[in-house]
Amino acid sequence: MMLLVYDQPGVMQRVMGEFNRKRINVETIVVGKCEMPERARIVLAIEDREKALGVLEHLRALHEVIEADLVDHSRHEAYALIQSKEGLCRVTGSVEEVDSIVTKSKPEKYVQTMNAI
Amino acid sequence: MKGARAVVELLRQQNVDIMFGIPGGVLLSFYNELEQSDIRHILPRHEQCAGHMADGYARVSKKPGVCIATSGPGATNLVTGVATAFMDSSPVIALTGQVATGVLGNDAFQEADAFSLMMPVTKHNFRITDPKLLPETIRKAFLIATTGRYGPVHVDIPVDMFTSDISDEEMAKEVKIPKPKKNLSGLLDAIKLLEKAERPTIMVGGGVAWSRAGPEIMRLAELLMAPVVTTLMAKGSVPENHPLVLGVCGMHGRQVANYALNNCDVLLAIGTRFSDRVTGKLSEFGTKTKVVHVDIDSSEIGKNVKGRVGLVGDAWTVVNALIAGLQRRTKSATWRDRMMELNRECSCDYDLRSDPIKPQKVIFELSKNLPDDAIVTTEVGQNQMWAAHFYKCYGKRMFITSGGLGTMGFGFPAALGAKLARPESVVADIAGDGSLQMVSHEFATAVENDIPVIVCLLNNGWLGMVKQWQKLFYESRYIATKFGGTPDFVKLAEAYGADAIKVERHSEVAEAIKRGVKSDVPILLDFVIDPEEDVLPMTPPGKTSADCIRGRCQWKGEVV
Ligand SMILES: Cc1ncc(C[n+]2csc(CCOP(=O)(O)OP(=O)(O)O)c2C)c(N)n1
Repeated sequence: MMLLVYDQPGVMQRVMGEFNRKRINVETIVVGKCEMPERARIVLAIEDREKALGVLEHLRALHEVIEADLVDHSRHEAYALIQSKEGLCRVTGSVEEVDSIVTKSKPEKYVQTMNAI
Repeated sequence: MKGARAVVELLRQQNVDIMFGIPGGVLLSFYNELEQSDIRHILPRHEQCAGHMADGYARVSKKPGVCIATSGPGATNLVTGVATAFMDSSPVIALTGQVATGVLGNDAFQEADAFSLMMPVTKHNFRITDPKLLPETIRKAFLIATTGRYGPVHVDIPVDMFTSDISDEEMAKEVKIPKPKKNLSGLLDAIKLLEKAERPTIMVGGGVAWSRAGPEIMRLAELLMAPVVTTLMAKGSVPENHPLVLGVCGMHGRQVANYALNNCDVLLAIGTRFSDRVTGKLSEFGTKTKVVHVDIDSSEIGKNVKGRVGLVGDAWTVVNALIAGLQRRTKSATWRDRMMELNRECSCDYDLRSDPIKPQKVIFELSKNLPDDAIVTTEVGQNQMWAAHFYKCYGKRMFITSGGLGTMGFGFPAALGAKLARPESVVADIAGDGSLQMVSHEFATAVENDIPVIVCLLNNGWLGMVKQWQKLFYESRYIATKFGGTPDFVKLAEAYGADAIKVERHSEVAEAIKRGVKSDVPILLDFVIDPEEDVLPMTPPGKTSADCIRGRCQWKGEVV
């Protein structure tokens, strides 16, 4: 799900409050400033399409939400940040790809998120 | 100009002439400015009641009611009032003071995170941390409260905002908010469905009361030859003395109204969110029915009941569009005639003449003796359901109740707010003794400010509704529902300076009500009623009409 919101304190709480009320577990949350000034984009991964649809209109009704839409995404993306002798390295790709790179490179430390977009 | 003056001025610009609140440390500069303005300020004895008064005022005047509380405990006390307004879509503006921005988040004296507390119980809320944004935020609050689906808006104002300078440009700044979406693309489908319907029925909810679409609904009903049922929130929005109006449906609704809901083939539902108290078991509701759902809030459509057609728009506009598009009905009038006949038969005699007084008798006499423009509010519990079921609301009468949240203690302060909004009308709160004890201190406010309302106390010495559930569903194992000792309500009211009468005989009920109507001071009518009387009929929660417990109800129509 993609949301365009005003970049203000309290927005995440309000948006996540809707998911909390409807008991929807959000797999991944990516949020940050975007190409427009004073706006931020929130990208959420939700497994259950029906549930996502159920909350969509409620999100659109929020005054800090400018747009909210579902973006179907069948390929599960992953992201990893790997620390090795050579330094830091970011990896993105499908879940399998990222997983295999992480395993192969035997990093000292790493963080990995699944189902990110 | 300083922020405090700016807020008062902005309230004046929004035509606020009365507000309800309790001051505190962080509000002193605001109250200092208020003292120099012509806004009337009412001092309730508890912030919750400030919220209910503003809410009652808003429901009657259909314009925003304003309440204010100090930081910390003031704000937490106000939450129930705001949540009540939220659940019934009432445009309340709730202002709270807050500790200074410099110490926000540091647990300063009387800090509570009011912004977070209010978030899930408001349509929208703000915390002002930049004085430049103060004027536009207050303007936005009023705009949001009264645009699209009405609802409460909360503004949290740290104390240093009141003492900051606000420039003239900032004061002059106009604000805009997006227009609510309309979607009438299903209009033709809706018209087709309604024209083909054999047994069309209209169900109206609180949205119709807010948009005052009652007269248009009745025109539509006549055009469609369709009976009209109302939810609790819509009671009073259509005239209950019209043969096509079947009254309130739902758990304690009139059987004829539930019958129409269960047996119609096309249901036109307007401004209602299909609460579980209306539908019973959701999966059974309307399985045979095609639903056309009209609501101003697109997120309501399909939320509880999946309709065939959804129309997004305010009740008044959509109903007029339907009227314009519909052909005069040529189908037979069988359904309409049958429903009108059942409606007549469902009007039982509840002028019960026995002692101890039966609550139905009190409602009967209220129906008979209150003027045609009276406003009735209710508390929550049996009193509310007897009122909803038996009180007849027509003409300029209004019915105000906490439907969504079911807040005990709502009716009395809401009655005070209602009376201030329409001083020329008689205002009566139909109360239970449990509910009244939650807010009885407001007799002080009523007397101090000369707000003559009637409190009709249906005094059964129990938390009656809960007792009824214990009786019906827990084999009469009563716990925490009987009051070990109740106060002498007459003395209580008199202690505050109000009038009061105790009524113990059915033959004295009418006389007492007449005295209440004539009273020009707040008056309590303490009707000592039969504690064993239940609110029936009742469809148990999660069940269908087939499982209805009837009691005295003599409904002869079929069950489903
Ligand atoms: C603030 C609040 N607390 C508790 C409840 C739960 N409750 C619903 S009805 C009821 C009993 C109401 O008793 P009373 O006001 O005496 O009215 P009666 O049912 O006897 O007419 C209670 C406790 C509620 N609705 N609101």
